[in-house]
Amino acid sequence: MTRAALAAALLAAAPAERAHTPEIDYALHCQGCHLADGRATPGSVPALAGTVARLARTPGGREYMGRVPGVAQAPLADAELALLLTWVVKRFGGPDDFAPYTPDEVGRLRAQPLVDVAAARRALLENDVR
Amino acid sequence: MANDRLDRWLERRARGLARGTSRRSFLARLGTIVVGAAGLPLLPVARASAGQREPAPDEIALAGKPEGDPKRCEYWRHCAIDGFLCACCGGSQNTCPPGTEMSSITWIGTCKNPADGKEYVISYNDCCGQSVCGRCNCTRTEGEKPVYITPKNNDALWCFGTKSRAVQCSVAVVLGVATESS
Repeated sequence: MTRAALAAALLAAAPAERAHTPEIDYALHCQGCHLADGRATPGSVPALAGTVARLARTPGGREYMGRVPGVAQAPLADAELALLLTWVVKRFGGPDDFAPYTPDEVGRLRAQPLVDVAAARRALLENDVR
Repeated sequence: MANDRLDRWLERRARGLARGTSRRSFLARLGTIVVGAAGLPLLPVARASAGQREPAPDEIALAGKPEGDPKRCEYWRHCAIDGFLCACCGGSQNTCPPGTEMSSITWIGTCKNPADGKEYVISYNDCCGQSVCGRCNCTRTEGEKPVYITPKNNDALWCFGTKSRAVQCSVAVVLGVATESS
């Protein structure tokens, strides 16, 4: 595939909205529920602050974060979503050596959205011994 | 010449003052002024001006730019609002009316500000805790998605995490410029 054809294919696959920085994408697609500082709204929304850092260090947590409904259904292309997810992990205290999500990986994960999110989260965090 | 006139005028005023006021009343008034001046910094006005209040995002992003009329549905930042405008209900475009609580959970979109042609990130928060305002109903749908994409829908009642789920009106808070990736 020539470079021009590749660019055309990428443009066709991209959503109509223009790409924003990950920080703005967080504001547009996450912050409405998770708030700017990622704190929980008891009874409505689980916390990112504290939880993301644990999940990023827990086996299976990386995959979980790519499959939660808000991520899987975000109106963003795989490449933008990969940047956003990586930004969220760093923003909420993930390990320095956390490998960035790749567009292919995010595409695979979001194709299998979680059905019972709360149960999956509980199982992951209970297994986390730290 | 002008100085002479001023001197004469001041002298007349001073003599008149001396004739018309007793020393005791002068002392009483002076006392009031001294005590009052000492009390001035204790007034709430003085405290408010001395405090380093953090500016709201609105004030940072929009400093110096002409605004419109937040009581009008056509006002630029209402491009995806659905509800009664708080500016018509005792609040403003970014503050809730007294007696209501702003829902922290909200839906967020972008609107273009005609003053500078830039897209801004706008948070549409509901003000909760009182019955519906009923004034300035406004429904606009730029960038809004159908209700099955709930986080991007404005038909939903967004009083989450608040003491009451009764919605009175909606505000449109500017969070900042919607910076595009380079």
